[in-house]
Amino acid sequence: MRNYLTLVILLILCLPSFGIVNEKSGDHSTYVQHVEQAFILMFQGDNLRAISEFEAALAIEPDHYEILHYLGMAHAQTEFWNKAVESCQRSLALMPDNIEALYSLGVAYFRLDQWTDAVASLQRVIELSPQHARGHEMLGKSLVKLRRYAEAVPILTKALSLTPHAAGLYYELGMSHLNLKAYPEAIKNFKLAIAYGPTGYAEPHHGLGTAYFRSGDREKSRVEMQVYQRLQREFAEYERLTRLTRAEPNNLEAWTELATLLMNQKNFAKAVSVFQRCIELAPNNAHFYHGLSRAFMSLNYPKHAAEAARKAVQLMPNQAILYNTLGSTYAMQGESQKALSAFRKAVELDSDEPYYHLNLSRLYQGMGNQKLAQEHHRIYEYLLSKQK
Amino acid sequence: MNIFYPSRNSHFRSAARGLFLLLLGIGMSFGVSAQDTEHLIFVSAGTFTMGSDTRAADEKPMHKVYLNAYYISKYEVTNAEYYEFWKQQLEMASPGHPPQHTPENFTHLPQIGDWPARAEQFPNHPVVGVSWHDANAYAAWKGMRLPTEAEWEKAARGYTNRTWPWGNALEPYANTAENNDGYQNRLAPVGSFPKGKSYYGAMDMAGNVWEWTADWYSDVYYWHTSQAATKRPKQNPTGPAVGSWRVIRGGSWIDTITRCSTTFRFYLYPNLKTSFVGFRLAKSTK
Repeated sequence: MRNYLTLVILLILCLPSFGIVNEKSGDHSTYVQHVEQAFILMFQGDNLRAISEFEAALAIEPDHYEILHYLGMAHAQTEFWNKAVESCQRSLALMPDNIEALYSLGVAYFRLDQWTDAVASLQRVIELSPQHARGHEMLGKSLVKLRRYAEAVPILTKALSLTPHAAGLYYELGMSHLNLKAYPEAIKNFKLAIAYGPTGYAEPHHGLGTAYFRSGDREKSRVEMQVYQRLQREFAEYERLTRLTRAEPNNLEAWTELATLLMNQKNFAKAVSVFQRCIELAPNNAHFYHGLSRAFMSLNYPKHAAEAARKAVQLMPNQAILYNTLGSTYAMQGESQKALSAFRKAVELDSDEPYYHLNLSRLYQGMGNQKLAQEHHRIYEYLLSKQK
Repeated sequence: MNIFYPSRNSHFRSAARGLFLLLLGIGMSFGVSAQDTEHLIFVSAGTFTMGSDTRAADEKPMHKVYLNAYYISKYEVTNAEYYEFWKQQLEMASPGHPPQHTPENFTHLPQIGDWPARAEQFPNHPVVGVSWHDANAYAAWKGMRLPTEAEWEKAARGYTNRTWPWGNALEPYANTAENNDGYQNRLAPVGSFPKGKSYYGAMDMAGNVWEWTADWYSDVYYWHTSQAATKRPKQNPTGPAVGSWRVIRGGSWIDTITRCSTTFRFYLYPNLKTSFVGFRLAKSTK
């Protein structure tokens, strides 16, 4: 009862204020609706529509620093860098030490080639958050752009301590050392960039070649420059084929060339999706299933690889190489009897291929049959010597 | 984003609605049956594997973490439970001022609705429209706290490598944006998916609502944790010292099931109040 009375008194005291609060709450409901919709669209990757929703929300209630920052992030996703700068600045005017808004502002300035502004913003990020890996990374990159190499080195080194194995950071650090004429350090970092970088990462080879050249090792420099040129050519070819397949999505020849290139580059994950596209376009072509199987095997997905190899064998039951691949997928899964059957079929169809015998030899070895293992190994060596 | 009561066109109607809601509140204090707040699950001390090497970049690397024993609530905090807290805030509020920690209204989503009416309409739905600060205040009021990110993940996956709390098979055992779970475009009462329970028996750790955790978000925090843990597992990590965003976990009714995995990490400004983020509680054993 006492509770009830207290609440009634409270209600009477509150009555005049309800009207004041509620006068704008219709607008607030609309604001909430726009914000919610914007988040859903952002989660779905539809940043353009998310921008519209955030803008509609902010037209009703303009002083939400977090929504302004989300708007900036959506602009950044769509590469509207000037708009991203504007939104982040508005957000920071309301909440000056917001680490992530400062970071977003720094990235936007970097993309606009306004590196001095980027440095100012990113330095504030790492002051506020000394373990901010992305802040250190972007600050280091901005300093490299400004040719402030001596300052870049400790920042990039710190970034690497926060994000190990980041190939791009090793490359930037290599470039800094190169420009500071610290060639052994440059060489070390370019090598790490290559080791941790994606397949076909060309730039560190150029840096490495330059570092070798300047330190007097011309032979190593020549080799690295050749690798760089080859990778550049492959990249150009990759770009050409990617553009072509985008413009002509049913161009099977272009897809096939792209698949071959990706396999040569050992980019097996992308090769899988390209082979799958080839199969969509030519569902009865065994070679595409075979390529898909090899790509899956390289990615260590033996079950998927076996499935694709079985399909290839169904389509071309007289191709020895398909049985050899099928056998390999079974062997990877430890299914020795199935592997044995497939390898035998491969040898039966083409007994002159040394590697089919080698596979059989290894399988027998694993199964404990030393006699047959040795026999097929001898055949393998004999055929190989004949080929030479 | 927080305004006290939902819209009406005139002062008179606003006042009338205020009266109605307040009386509704009084009635509810006797009428709503809250989910049992003492549904706490004991999670024993030990080392578990956190993160994933095969999913998103910020989930890497997979690393060992040691946690002291703790309790975690079996269910997400419900509207009815939160209402008890809010009612006390209402009583303490200064005249003319909305009570602190009032959940956001979702007038445009009638299936979620406005506060406090939804506490009566959907008492066993997880409370949403609450900021991290609201969640924290509620937890303190209950003598508990929000789980750390590590505590949340251990409660979801235990000592296993489960992609989802129930295992690795893609099953409709969670309220997600997929259309096969029986709760399209709406929240589900907590505990609606018993087959989706976690290793430790916690419910709804995938889907329904994202859950606030205590930690600030950092995309490379696991690297720090694992680097520090080269010789022995990191002990009771509590996240970075500073940040802009708080970690949310578990995915929600607006997310695809891939975002509802035991390792998926997401983040939100702590003052935001959305229809897809709620929370559950934790408590240290000592």
